[in-house]
Amino acid sequence: MLGLTWITGLLRRRPLRLVGVAAGIALAVGLLASIGAFLSRSKATMTHRAVAGVAVDWQVEAQPGADPAAVLSTVTAFPGVVTALPVGFADASGFQATSAGSTQTTGPGVVLGLPDGYARAFPGELRNLTGATSGVLLAQQTAANLHAAPGSNVVIQRPGQDPATVQVDGIIDLPQADSLFQKVGAPAGAQLQAPPDNVLVVPSARLAALFPASAGVPLRSQVHVRLDHRLPADPAAAFSTVTGKARNLEVRTAGAAKLGDNLGATLDSARGDALYAQMLFLFLGVPGALLAALLTVWVAAAGRDRRRREQALLRTRGATTRQLVGLASVEAAVVGIAGGAIGLARAAGVGRLAFGTASLGTTTGVAAAWAAGCLLGGLGVAWAAIAIPARADSRARTVRGAERVVSCRRAPWWTRAGVDLLALGGSALVFWLTGRKGYQLVLAPEGVPAISVSYWALAGPALLWLGAGLLAWRVVDLGLRRGRPVLRRLARPVAGTLAGTVAATLTRQRRILARAVVLVALTAAFAASTAVFNATYRHQSGVDARLSNGADVTVAEPPGSAVGPEAAARFAAIAGVRRVEPLQHRFAYVGSDLQDLFGVRTATVTAATQLQDAYFAGGTAKALMARLGAEPDGILVSAETVHDFQLQAGDHLQLRLQDGRTGKLTTVAFRYLGVAKEFPTAPRDSFLVANADYVAAKTGSDAVGAFLLDTGGHAPAAVARQARAVVGPGPAVTDLSTTRRLVGSSLTSVDLTGLTRVELGFALALAVAACGLALALGFAERRRTFAIAGALGAGRRQLASLVWSEAAVMVVGGLGLGAITGWSLSRMLVKVLTGVFDPAPSRLQVPWVYLSAVAVAGVAAAVVAAAAAVRSARRAPISVLREG
Amino acid sequence: MNGTTARSMAPDPSRGAAGGQREGDPEPAQSLARCHKVARTYGSGAAASVALQNVSCCVRAGDRIAATGPSGSGKSTLLHLLAGLDTPTAGTVTWPALGPRSSLRPGPVAVVFQAPSLLAPLNVAENVALPLLLAGVDEGDAGQRASEALATLGLEGLGTKLPEELSGGQAQRVVVARALASRPRLLLADEPTGQLDHANGALVIDALLAAAAADGAALVITTHDERVADRLAQRWRLDDGRLVTGATLECLA
Repeated sequence: MLGLTWITGLLRRRPLRLVGVAAGIALAVGLLASIGAFLSRSKATMTHRAVAGVAVDWQVEAQPGADPAAVLSTVTAFPGVVTALPVGFADASGFQATSAGSTQTTGPGVVLGLPDGYARAFPGELRNLTGATSGVLLAQQTAANLHAAPGSNVVIQRPGQDPATVQVDGIIDLPQADSLFQKVGAPAGAQLQAPPDNVLVVPSARLAALFPASAGVPLRSQVHVRLDHRLPADPAAAFSTVTGKARNLEVRTAGAAKLGDNLGATLDSARGDALYAQMLFLFLGVPGALLAALLTVWVAAAGRDRRRREQALLRTRGATTRQLVGLASVEAAVVGIAGGAIGLARAAGVGRLAFGTASLGTTTGVAAAWAAGCLLGGLGVAWAAIAIPARADSRARTVRGAERVVSCRRAPWWTRAGVDLLALGGSALVFWLTGRKGYQLVLAPEGVPAISVSYWALAGPALLWLGAGLLAWRVVDLGLRRGRPVLRRLARPVAGTLAGTVAATLTRQRRILARAVVLVALTAAFAASTAVFNATYRHQSGVDARLSNGADVTVAEPPGSAVGPEAAARFAAIAGVRRVEPLQHRFAYVGSDLQDLFGVRTATVTAATQLQDAYFAGGTAKALMARLGAEPDGILVSAETVHDFQLQAGDHLQLRLQDGRTGKLTTVAFRYLGVAKEFPTAPRDSFLVANADYVAAKTGSDAVGAFLLDTGGHAPAAVARQARAVVGPGPAVTDLSTTRRLVGSSLTSVDLTGLTRVELGFALALAVAACGLALALGFAERRRTFAIAGALGAGRRQLASLVWSEAAVMVVGGLGLGAITGWSLSRMLVKVLTGVFDPAPSRLQVPWVYLSAVAVAGVAAAVVAAAAAVRSARRAPISVLREG
Repeated sequence: MNGTTARSMAPDPSRGAAGGQREGDPEPAQSLARCHKVARTYGSGAAASVALQNVSCCVRAGDRIAATGPSGSGKSTLLHLLAGLDTPTAGTVTWPALGPRSSLRPGPVAVVFQAPSLLAPLNVAENVALPLLLAGVDEGDAGQRASEALATLGLEGLGTKLPEELSGGQAQRVVVARALASRPRLLLADEPTGQLDHANGALVIDALLAAAAADGAALVITTHDERVADRLAQRWRLDDGRLVTGATLECLA
């Protein structure tokens, strides 16, 4: 009853006090809930994308001696199997084709037998490049090797039989050749088996005819499976479900089959990414929520004197400590629940705007758990802001005793113990450890259900937050304590004879000012680190997409095309195209290993694409391109090739390339210059980079593999449409914006736009609130001081000098220290979360426009607060003095 | 509003533009502050509260006035009007011998407030010197005069103390020292002994009387305490916002 009366009275008499604290709690709860919703949705997106990216979920291979039909029957009947089709594999000794009087022969290959409807059932497995979509289909690389096209005859060299000839109906690409030709049943973690260089696809019946059982060369039989994709939203749970089912199926076949679990392997990777998303939440979201909580405590503390007086009055009327704490708890509960509810409603609204849904989770249970967790957090903040101080104050016997805030001359225990310096030292140690080779934040061993996370890495940023905040306090305290003469000199032009008074005020109120500066510095650091991290992440996401696509728009010529670099003029004429760069794409034998070779024009290649230093080893991108340009026979190779062939700089390599004039392989000498780890349009495994002119001269062909079109980042999709109209069917035209959406299943595929908007908007609001509130509340606390000065006759300028000096210390100190802390935090976050980036960034991206907006908004908030304080101090000092 | 008059928003047409005097009136000798038919109402409409109504009075150099009356009678409101800290809702307040209202503080008028009024971040010496600094006195002179004022009140040893380190009596004496430091011509004290015991209260009144005597200043003190009122030569009695007895109106003539 007393509690109800108390709350009713507060709502009537002190509504702003309740609203202020509730607003702070709403901010903290809203951020937590918004980021939680993002996390939950990201995980569901990862699972969805992982599942969507798998062409064949399971490849069930009948073991030697087992009956393929029985295996097919078992698989078809297995719960959750939507489609199951038999696929046959036969080994060929080689393929041969004759064109324009010249005969080409390849090494060993595989003939694949697919049933009718396979392409419809598993659309991601085959991609038609030219010709028919069914019948006899030749893989792109094999077609290039054989100079074959639709209509060409290809001879299949069959072990133990005479060669057989088939007519090619179409040319295809096998985007998921790695998994299609995997060694089914290989132990987890075993080295991947490289797909065959040469592949021919025929209908199942044709395969059976070409490789009859009577020939004594058994076919390998697989059942390709599509599963019901209604899986748990969390990649880790989906992984467990899928791998559990896979084991169950293997048991049911009683050893007759082994299972290649492509879906499980993809989910295996996605669950690691999901953990990274979780770490992003911890690293980026939690500090913001804690800062909002700190701000709330600050807002609540502004009314502490008034609370003390109210407590003193209640005590004189016989209230016990227990009752006083009880009343404060009721107040905390009311503002905690109200603020929490507003925060959740805000999160739902933000979720609808930023993520397209108001739900806080992918399921009702998850959403309810998030909501409950966030509400509890809000109640905790309210408790810390109201009830705990009330409990401490209830022990102070007099108001006067509790008001001793200026003369606390003894340094806090943590400055004497050097906690700030120890925390920064600890943070530096973690930074060093995470920079060492072999560090991985998330370790998800392939095929192993358990995932390990280096949660200790959280200690790095956490200690940096702590250390930087405390150090900022120490610096401001020390500066204001020792810098009084300097402050006096600085204040004199504005304050005149009051300069000494201004300096004394700043010095004696240094603890209050230090708290304000720390709050502003931390919010500025949060805004800066979040913005820099997000900008770097976004930039690297773009780099990833550009790496895959090559440029804003890429026109890839079909295999066997003889289009030369002069065709670039056709694309240069398209509106919106700034530059066009031809890029050769050949295949070269390094020993027996067939690798992609890219011929570049070193002087102009960067005009249409970006080369980052992280793509290379042994020099910067610029330096290595310059060296390559200076040495015509120079070549950049993969680290794997360097290791396999024990190459030293300057070593000669004899590579076999197809001669454009004869169609036969010819040996070309190159000199090893350096290592290329990544290259635009290049595959992720081994590849080579050489001079285009040298390759053209040695092979007699300047045929271009792809044209890279630079649009300056503007409307790549529109330019791609025009390019398609120019080239017609045949060449594949891809654009950056489409690739960005489709790229891989890694974390960079998760669209952070919504989260970025939420976080950056929140950081801006927090910075404004900190700058404005820290000053406004500080002035409100000391409005009696200004009223007394006004009553003594202080003029507008004199009052302004007192106010503006504090505002200047807070804004300059807060933003300055915040910038330093934000820069350190950004470096720390990018280093600790380096696994999130693909490829790793070579430098931080600083969003100057956003950071300037934060600084301007913060300064504007401080100016408004200071101007309001001056105005208030000039108005009716007597009414303030009367409040006692 | 001109510099010498605090008046209601509706000007009295019978009064001149300057200083609320009728044209041709001789300047009343030594008249420091004058209230003419002054009223002060707080709030408006049904919530309006009348603190003063139709009060006319004046303070001349050398006056020793005790303004007495029950709580809520308008004593403090009258003092604040005389100090130029507040403006009347009707009537006029003028300071014929002191200059415009904007020049009263810091300057010829000093006020001792009822509530604690020391600036918490400044030490005792800095608090006492503050009105001088606000008036543009350089720091050296202000410090010197502050020391003298503190010595007058017997507070020499407290210069470096912070207000929160003082007792209630010490704090109030420091406030008096601050008022004296600027050597005012009109010293206004609002219940200066209200929060003090008798001994400390007597010390404060002694100091006020001595300072007023030394500088020839007029002294107006609001008080409930008859013993304090008895020590002053004149007594104004207020009741329910009206000045019921004691005001000298000759200066208004």
